Amino acid sequence: MKQLEVKQLKKTFSLSRKQRAIEKTNETKKVAVNDLSFVAYPGEIYGLLGPNGAGKTTCLRAISTLIKPDEGDVLVDGYSVREDSYEVRKRIGFLTSELKLEDHFSPNYLFDYFAKLHGLNEEEAELRKNELFARFGIDDFREVKVADLSTGMKQKASIAISLVHDPDFIIFDEPTNGLDILTAKSVTDYLVELKNMGKTVIVSTHILSVVEKICDRVGIIINGRMEWTDTLKNLHASDEHLEELFFRLIAESEGVL
Amino acid sequence: MKNILTVFRKEFYRVISDRRLLFTAVLLPGLAIYLIYSLMGNIIGGQMEEVETHEMIVYTENMSADFEAFLATKDLNVKYKERNDLTFEEIEAMILEGDMDLFMSFPSDFDERLDNYEGATSLPNVDMFYNPSKQFSNNTYYQFQSQLSLYSQEIGLDRHGLDYYVFTINQADETYEIFDEQKATGQGLASLLPMLIVMFLFSGAMSIGPDSIAGEKERGTIATLLVTPIKRSDIAIGKVLSLSLVSLMSATSSFIGIMFSLPNLMQGEDIDLSIYGVFEFFMLFSILLATVLVIVGLISIVSAYAKTIKEASMLILPFYFGAVILGVSSMFSDDTQANVLFYVIPLYNTIQMLIGILTFEINTAAYLVTMISSLVYVSIFVYILNRMFQSEKIMFSK
Repeated sequence: MKQLEVKQLKKTFSLSRKQRAIEKTNETKKVAVNDLSFVAYPGEIYGLLGPNGAGKTTCLRAISTLIKPDEGDVLVDGYSVREDSYEVRKRIGFLTSELKLEDHFSPNYLFDYFAKLHGLNEEEAELRKNELFARFGIDDFREVKVADLSTGMKQKASIAISLVHDPDFIIFDEPTNGLDILTAKSVTDYLVELKNMGKTVIVSTHILSVVEKICDRVGIIINGRMEWTDTLKNLHASDEHLEELFFRLIAESEGVL
Repeated sequence: MKNILTVFRKEFYRVISDRRLLFTAVLLPGLAIYLIYSLMGNIIGGQMEEVETHEMIVYTENMSADFEAFLATKDLNVKYKERNDLTFEEIEAMILEGDMDLFMSFPSDFDERLDNYEGATSLPNVDMFYNPSKQFSNNTYYQFQSQLSLYSQEIGLDRHGLDYYVFTINQADETYEIFDEQKATGQGLASLLPMLIVMFLFSGAMSIGPDSIAGEKERGTIATLLVTPIKRSDIAIGKVLSLSLVSLMSATSSFIGIMFSLPNLMQGEDIDLSIYGVFEFFMLFSILLATVLVIVGLISIVSAYAKTIKEASMLILPFYFGAVILGVSSMFSDDTQANVLFYVIPLYNTIQMLIGILTFEINTAAYLVTMISSLVYVSIFVYILNRMFQSEKIMFSK
């Protein structure tokens, strides 16, 4: 049951007048994801691939219970995001650029705070903190206010805090965005470590090389629909490269081919 | 409960660990009030003292020798000058410029006509020119008008046996002022404090409420909190309680500021707070606590609805002005509202209860209605806030 299953997910957003002007449409609603389904398994990294605005973030926000699906469901370890959002939140570690840390506090304070909210006792929190802070080199700036940290330091602190409760399901939205090459590598290496620990990892990105390097299974979303999903192993067996497949699907969706 | 405490502690720590925020939200209100009120008191006191010590400059024309002798027996700080060759235009200019406080012109036959008093149909007139918009001139005019009135009575009685006194007032050796000193002090405080307290509670909550909720939405930190496995109601209650404590601290600071500045503001009038006992202070505190919870609940909802701190601050302003209007209206009423039903109106009930407590006229039924209705309002506000935290449209709208 330690799998994450997205079942025929549909999410529609109302468009404000301003958004309609930006998107140059008269439609009052926009279907962000439609009939989206996939399964992510333990010990694997599932890569959600798609161009900007494809619906990747909406899908991940629905998994993390921040938004409710209009139709369909997401089952995390058998728990529904519709019915058991509390149980789902206990099991997931969610990281997105939209989730920020409060500038006024230090990584150390925030780690303790979120550890308490996740129900860890002091001893458990301390052990986990030592482990994660050492892994990401946060000890050097553990007492520095978030406001004074660099982008890379903030991302490291965010990752550590999102994993404070040692979740079985890790959902990272564009985790390497805006990071320098060294920090980005450290993050992708850690995702592989998590996979090797038997965790279920879902990563959204538009960087094909990252997907090729770390993902076991891939889903390509275009215009809110899952256009293709399978393992990279099967893809490689078909002699088609991910990049070729991706651009072919985009071209097909635009009616070029 | 554990999660409520965790959120509460973190929100509270956010304020007390930030020196600038602590100073502006908690210490500054009290300090500013103390300085402003003390300054106002000192300015008013200084003006009064200046008027009292000012040497009056009075120009005269045909000054009555008898009246001059009469004035010499009075303790007046005055310098007399003769009109001499001054034209009336020059006199006007000097009065306007403040070089002359008063010009008194007596008829040339003033003393003669007083001696030959012929009845009310032919009275000599004394012209007194002054500037009512200048304090020194105005004060001089009233002082000399009073002296002329006394002189007139004295002449009437001494020279013509005309006793103007048909009756006298309060001339026996009695204490005529019958009042409850405590209540009088209480009434003085009740005319000022309720409005100020409500304003301070509101402004205290306004200084941090929008940042705590709208600010978290604006900065994107609320989402980090919403993906943790805690109830939305725990977040709502934790935030409301923490904001309430900081608002209470801010109001207390303002209250201390008022108390320290009152002696300066009242210029010597005694303000003795020891007239209030433990019971009154307990009532005061319970009413303030209930009120601050209502105010913070309201501000939290507005802040949760707003997309940015700026928008929240703007949306809260009409509520603040409403509270100020309620407070000002209380300044002009001596009695508290007798109809208990009115005590379900938030803030109005606070003001009425504060007046009642300060003037020792506590209506138990009104107190209970105030407390219960406040708790009902807070519960409704927390429920709404909880629903708002669950609404993705409100939490993530852009």
